[in-house]
Amino acid sequence: MHNRKKEVRFFTIADYEEEEAWLHDRHSQGWKLVKMTPPCFYVFEKCAPADVTYRLDYKNNTQTSDYFQMFQDYGWEYVGSCVGWLYFRKPKSQLDSECDGEIFSDPASKIQMIDHVIKTRLLPILIIFLCCILPNSVSSVETGSTLTTVLTVVLTLLTLLYLYLIVYCGLKLRKLRDKYRKE
Amino acid sequence: MDSKIKRIYIPMTESGFYILFCLQQPQHGYGISQRVRQITGGELIISAGTMYGTLSKMEKDGLIAFAHEEEKRKLYQITELGKEVLDTEMKRIERLYKNSKGEEIHA
Repeated sequence: MHNRKKEVRFFTIADYEEEEAWLHDRHSQGWKLVKMTPPCFYVFEKCAPADVTYRLDYKNNTQTSDYFQMFQDYGWEYVGSCVGWLYFRKPKSQLDSECDGEIFSDPASKIQMIDHVIKTRLLPILIIFLCCILPNSVSSVETGSTLTTVLTVVLTLLTLLYLYLIVYCGLKLRKLRDKYRKE
Repeated sequence: MDSKIKRIYIPMTESGFYILFCLQQPQHGYGISQRVRQITGGELIISAGTMYGTLSKMEKDGLIAFAHEEEKRKLYQITELGKEVLDTEMKRIERLYKNSKGEEIHA
C-alpha cells in the first residue's frame, strides 16, 4: 500500500523519551504509527498532520485485563506493544490540563518504571554478557589461530558493541532517575 | 500494622492519600481520578499509569481489595488495614494542621 511506509530507527531501552518525541514529530508531519516490529521497524500510515502526544509505558506483560480499559477511560488510544513496551497516544486538542498529556503524574511512578526496566531488561543483559559473551570472546582470543582470526575480530567487535550499549543504557537510566527525583 | 507497611505508607504521598480516601466507597481508577480532581478543585491530577501502579501496589500490600467488576473496570474498596493506615495519616495531618495554625496539642 502506497499510503503506508516502513521506517528503521533504533532506540535503546533508555531512549523512550526520544522515541516519544520522534513519534510525535512523525504524526505532526502526517504519518501516524500503526505498529512496531522488534528490534527497530516502524510502520506508519498517511494521515492528516496533527499534534498528538505519544507515551510509552513499560509493563513487560505484567498488565492485567483492566489496564487498557483504564488508559482508554483517560482518553489514551492504545497503538500496540513491542518487547514489553506499550505505546499510547492522545491528541493535544483533547487535553484539558498540562498533566493530562502525561501517563505518570508523580516522580515516584516514573522512577518505578525505570526500576522495572533495569530489573527485567538491563540486569538480564548484563548477566548474559558476563556469563556467556565475555568468557567466549576471551577464550576465542586465547586460542586464536590464523583461521579463526576473522571470527575473533568479529566477536571482539560484537563484545565491544554489547559493552557500549550496556554502559550507555546504565548511565542514561541513572541520569533519568536523578532527573525525576529532582522534579 | 507491621513496620514494612508503616515505612512505605506513613507519611503517604498526596496522590496515595486521596486514592485511599476515595476507596471508602467502591470505585474504579478513572472514577477515583475524577473524584480527586473535583474535591481538590482541579489541583491534583492522577494520571493513568500512576493510578494503575498505585492501585496494584496497594492491592498487593493489602490496603485495598478487589470489590467487583463493571464493564471491564475493576472496582476496589479499602480493607481494615487500609482503614488503619488512612486513620493514622488523618491524625498525623490533623496534628500538622493544628500545629501550623499555632494551636497547642495536649496529649
